[in-house]
Order: sequence, then C-alpha cells, then structure tokens
Amino acid sequence: MRKNREIKLIFTLLAVFFAGFLAVPMISVLVRSFTGDGTAFSLSHYVEVLTGRGFLRALWNSILISVCSAFLTTVLAFILAYTIHYTNTGKRYKWLISKAAILPMLLPTITYGFAIIYSFGKQGLLTRLFGRQLFDIYGFNGLLLGYVAYTLPIAFTLINNAMGYIDKRFMIVSRLMGDSPLQTFRMTILIPLLGTLATAFIQTFFLCFTDFGIPASVGGQFEVVASVLYTEMLGSVPNFGNGAVVALIMIIPSVVSITVLHILEKYNVRYNKISPIELKKGVKRDVAFSILSGAILICTLSMFLVMFIVPFIEEWPYRMSFTLEHVQAVFEDSQLYGVYINSVMVAVLTALAGTILSYGGALVTARSTVSGKLKKVIDSIALVTNTIPGMVIGLAYLFVFTGTPLQNTFPIIIICNIVHFFSTPYLMMKNSLSKMNASWETTAMLMGDNWIKTIVRVVTPNAMSTLLEVFSYYFVNAMVTVSAVIFIAGTRTMVITTKIKELQYFNEFNEIFVLSLLILFTNLIARALFRKLAAVSERRQNTAKIYRFSAKKAA
Amino acid sequence: MLKLRNVKKSFDGTPVLKDISLDIEDGEIVSILGPSGCGKTTLLNLILGIVDADGGQIIYNEEDLTRVPMEKRGFNIVFQDYALFPNLNVYQNITYGLRNNPEISSREEVEDLIHLLGLEEHLNKRIGMLSGGQKQRVALARTMVMKPKILLLDEPLSALDGVIKESIKDRIKTIAQEYHLTTIIVTHDPEEALTLSDRVMIINDGEIAQFGKPEEIIAKPENGFVKKFILNQLEIKKNNIYTLFAGQLQEQAQVC
Repeated sequence: MRKNREIKLIFTLLAVFFAGFLAVPMISVLVRSFTGDGTAFSLSHYVEVLTGRGFLRALWNSILISVCSAFLTTVLAFILAYTIHYTNTGKRYKWLISKAAILPMLLPTITYGFAIIYSFGKQGLLTRLFGRQLFDIYGFNGLLLGYVAYTLPIAFTLINNAMGYIDKRFMIVSRLMGDSPLQTFRMTILIPLLGTLATAFIQTFFLCFTDFGIPASVGGQFEVVASVLYTEMLGSVPNFGNGAVVALIMIIPSVVSITVLHILEKYNVRYNKISPIELKKGVKRDVAFSILSGAILICTLSMFLVMFIVPFIEEWPYRMSFTLEHVQAVFEDSQLYGVYINSVMVAVLTALAGTILSYGGALVTARSTVSGKLKKVIDSIALVTNTIPGMVIGLAYLFVFTGTPLQNTFPIIIICNIVHFFSTPYLMMKNSLSKMNASWETTAMLMGDNWIKTIVRVVTPNAMSTLLEVFSYYFVNAMVTVSAVIFIAGTRTMVITTKIKELQYFNEFNEIFVLSLLILFTNLIARALFRKLAAVSERRQNTAKIYRFSAKKAA
Repeated sequence: MLKLRNVKKSFDGTPVLKDISLDIEDGEIVSILGPSGCGKTTLLNLILGIVDADGGQIIYNEEDLTRVPMEKRGFNIVFQDYALFPNLNVYQNITYGLRNNPEISSREEVEDLIHLLGLEEHLNKRIGMLSGGQKQRVALARTMVMKPKILLLDEPLSALDGVIKESIKDRIKTIAQEYHLTTIIVTHDPEEALTLSDRVMIINDGEIAQFGKPEEIIAKPENGFVKKFILNQLEIKKNNIYTLFAGQLQEQAQVC
C-alpha cells in the first residue's frame, strides 16, 4: 500500500537505531551481570555485591538522602509556585522568581559540589562572610544542599505549570460555601495538585538517586550507589561484573518510580476552563511568601556566587586581588579551550540529531494511521529511555562498543546523549503535533502535495516553536550532563563535564569554575536565542490566525 | 431589597461601570442584559463581592454591604461552567456547604431540593459523567442548600441546548417562586432575559440603557441602543419563526 510508506520507513529507522543503541547495550549489561569478564554463567557477582557490606550501606544511604531531598525540594518548589500564583506580589518579583528558580538547571551537577566546597568549606566564601563554618559539607549535608539546588528547577517547573491550570474560581465557591481558609486551601489547591506534588516528589527522587556529579565532589565518606558504580568500573580494580549488577540495581527504583508516575497521571484533576480571578487581599500572606521565596532563592543561588568570584582572584583565599589571569589561562590553554569547543560541538550535533529523531518518532505516533502496535513500540522506547539512568546507559555502551571503531569517538557520546534524553523531547513533540488539526495531511494531499511536501510546507512550520524548544532542551542537557558520558569520553573526546572530573584530581578549581562559567553563559545565550526564535515563529503563527479571524469578522 | 447607589468600577484606569444606581425588590427575577464587554459580569462580581467597588454603595435591607467581604454577605452564585468539584460525587457536591454549617438546611429541605431539581437518580454519579443540564441542576442545588439571600446566575443557559434550556428556565422560575428568592441573572441573550425575568436591565458601555418590565422594553424602547441591538434581534427571530409557521398561521386565520 502506498499510504504510510514514509511513516513506515521512519519507524524502521527508529526501531533499528534503538535496537542497536538501547536494546543491545542493555541486554549486554544483563548478560555481564551473570558472566562478568569471562563466559561462565554464575550468580557470583550478585552474591559479591549484595553481601559486601559497603553496597547495602550505600543503597540505604542513596534512598535516605534521595527521599529527604525530594521531600524538601517539593515543599520549597511549592512555596515558590504558590507565591507566583496565589499572592498579589508584584509582577516583576514574580517574574524574577520564575527565572531565578530555574537557573541552576544550566550548570552541570558536578559544579554544584565544587560551589558548595568553595562556599561552605573551611576557606569558603560564605564561611568567611559568616565568620564560621555553618555545617560540615562532606556527606549528608552537602549532598542534601546539592540535590535540592539541582532538583528545585525541575520540581518548580512541574508545580508551577500545574498551578497555572487550576481553575481559581473554585476558591470563590469554597469561600461562599463557608469553608475556612485552611479548608479552601486543601480543597482548591492541595487536592487538585496532589498528583503533581507526587510527580514532583518521585521525579526529584529519581534524579537524586541516579545523579553522579554531586556525590563525586561532596559525597565524602557517605557512599551512594552512583559512587559505588563509578569505583567498580573506573576505580583501581575495575570489576565489570559487579558494575553490571550495581547498574541493574540502580534501575529498580527508576522503574518503580516511572511506573508510579504512569499510574498517577490518571488521577490528575483536569479543569475545563481556567478563569483568572482577583485574589483575596492578604498583605500578611503576600509579604510572608515573598520573603520566604526570596530566602529560598538566595540560599540556593548564593552557593553559586563563589563561581563568579574565585576565578577572578589571584589565589583564593590568600592573595585576594582581582585578576583575569585564570580566565586568560583557560583560553590560552589549547587543551582546555579545545574541550569547550568539543562540548559545544557535541551539544549542537546532539540537539540537531535528537530533534530530528524525536520529530520522526512523534510523526509516527501523532500524525499517522499506522497500527497501534507500531505506535506503542515508540511510546515504550520513550518510556524505557526515561527509566534508565544516564550512568547505566554509559556503562552499557562501555560494554558493547569497547574495541569497536565507535569507542572513544564523538558519535558515541552524541548517540548516548540522544538516547538518554529522548523521552522528554519526544513527548513535547508528540503533544504539540497531536494538537494540530487532524485533517491537514488529507487536505494538503487533496491539493496535490505528497507526504513529504505536506510535512515540509504545513506541519513543520506549525511545529517550529516546539522544534526549537526541543532543540534547546537537548542542547542544554548535552552541555551539562556528566553521568551519561563519564564512562565513554576518551582523552581525545573530552567534554567540559568529564574534564572537570579530571581537574578535580589536581585541585584545579580556577579552571573548574571558569569552565562552569563557560557552560553557564553558553546555555544562557543558547536559551535566550531559542526563546527569541520560538517567540518569533509563534508570533508568525498567531498573526496568521488573528488575520484570518479579523477577515472572518469583517465578512 | 437590594440597592446600588452610584457604583463605579475601573480596571487599570478604564471605566467599566460608570455610576450605576438601581433597586431590586425581594423575590424578583432580574436579568442583566448586554453585549460582551458591557460590564455586566463586573456588576455581578460587585454584588457578589468578588471585586470591590471604587465608589458608591451596595445596600441590602438597609445594611451597607459595600465593605463587607464576600462570604459574609450571604449571597451565592452559580457560575457559567458550574465549578463543581470534580473529585466529589453529585451528593457530596450538593451537601458541600453543610460540612461547614450543618444547621443551614435540614435533611428534608435537601431532599426537597433534590426532588425539585430531579436529581434523585444521579446522586452517586461522578461529575464527569453528567450532561450539561444535569451539571447545571447540581450546581443550582449546591447553591440553594446554602439558602442564599440573593441568587446570582452567570449565563445559566448559554452552555445548554434547545429543550434543556427551556426546562432549566422553568426550574429557575419555580425555585425563585417557591423560595421567594431574589434572583439576578447575567445573560447576553435578549430572548432569554425577556422570557425569564420580571424585570430586565439593559447595560451598554458601563451604563444602564433601560431597566423595566419585558413588555415595557418591547413597547417603549428608551434609546437607540435598545432598539438597534435588543429589539432588532428579537424582530429577526420573530420573523424567522413566522416564516417557518406561515402555513399553520394561515390555517388558523382561516378558521377564525
């Protein structure tokens, strides 16, 4: 049949790609967990890992710290979002909150740890400002601080979006029915948000549990699963079999949390209509929440302050005069500068290829009439990529591609990033494509377009703002990811984040911070640029609509 | 009796209501009629207490309510999209207010209301399973349980179709009569306003264009706006109906 030929081609390409770069590697991890380095099948690695006292301790630590961080982050994110949606605080201040809350997302997690060390450590910036060390940074406290800063942007984005979709008129109904303020809060904010709050909790738990960057720098004696995995694989005595077992155990909480998220989705309350209302006056409430939100953001962002200071000082904390020496040194060091160029190149290529791939996937599921089974395959791929932590994918690639021409090349890093982050871009694309009018393809075909022409002339221009968003998502994440590439970046294919890990051994903090600043500014510029482009293309779509509307009115 | 005296309201410097004064008798059904953007919803929100007036007074039974907060005024509203709590079933929605004030309506009174609105068979259903007309009746019941001194209805019929529309109209009239309840309805549909209410207030551009009984408005439109936009619409509808029934009307004429 002629119909769907192109879609089926796209599907086949996607299926082959993910079979090769997701299914085969994951299966090899499973096999390795039984065979180790040899070929004999045994459970010895499981026994070794599970009976080793260190591992169970690390597992417990991971769960404990992740639950604490997830809980704290969800509460803090809720307060920030509440300030934006339910207080009469000034518009500018609200804007500032929403922007500041997501800033840490633009930095690699490995930087967080060093920022904490240089802020709260013995010679840290904030320690000096306060005159004493506030708390011991290595171990639980440092991890908690790092994880909260790391996951706050994600939890905030989730809750903030959901709050925007709550019909605030229910507050009026509730008040008219004689509810006390506490009951109104419970009935019109808390209950509709329960699903989202649970989602935020689980999502942040998952991120903390699988992150490698933060424990790499401030974990100290507090071993977590991610650091165990790193030592098993790249420590002084690598043990691939044990590494595979640890990796598989790392997947379990992810699978559980994603399953729970899937179930929760059904319980989200949906409103037909969002009506803006004038909020009840409450000066005390407004002031309290404004101060609280300000305090939360100052606390999270203050630890990054050091990044902007230390690299510009001769020798922290002994010779405190301003200098551009360190910054210059990075740019003059062809190796470091080269690493930056590598990172940008990897990020651009990841974004480009990733956007095309997720667009293709979304075209199959959202704009074609192929059988439900094929669509289900793509949806499942997205779901699976969402459950597998970056470190595990990296490890799987290490198993499969070592000794092949792909080993230590840029393509393998790019592919790893694409697979690792596939889920969100795919869902963004699918969501946007399925909202478009379903008869466009038919209409265009009746006018004589073939399928490709329709996609190029009609669907793509209308999806442009989402495509740009997806591109920007891939770009930023490829710039900051450390967990997925730590196992597969070679000496010639260093990216900034793996370089930072290496610099850590030599205590080269100036370089670490300069490189982090480079990532931050690159991301800020990239995001601003894509925002702008997306806004332009959105406006073009909208003006077209308005024009059509006014034409109708005039008629 | 509800009195408004020189009530004014602006949003960001743009006047939405300019100097509104009116009296509404107890037990009366009054419709506020006007095109979108005329200020009718703002007027409703002012009476309910969602927004504060910039100037003027709102007086109910000689008591000045202008600065009294919404929940202390004792008025209640049914919103256009009903705003039923989606996580509760029909019965829980209807008796929602009783959790806070159990003495406000007795068991029998609630049952009477449920019977009057024909909701017996739906009590255990979830909100998502109801049709538009059923939702409207549930919302009406939920509000009536609170025994409001004034019932406000925001576009009560606009989301309903054909026959349901007429039956809800009857229910609203019955309730207003049965409970001797002052009812204020906001609508943009002249036919709805003129067939449903004792008196109709036509608002244009933040001012009252005419306030009178339906027959007065038809017989003596006070200005160009009422003639052009209100009567004209009805005229077109009337002619359409006449054309449709032309055959029957001729027969009737011949019989007479």
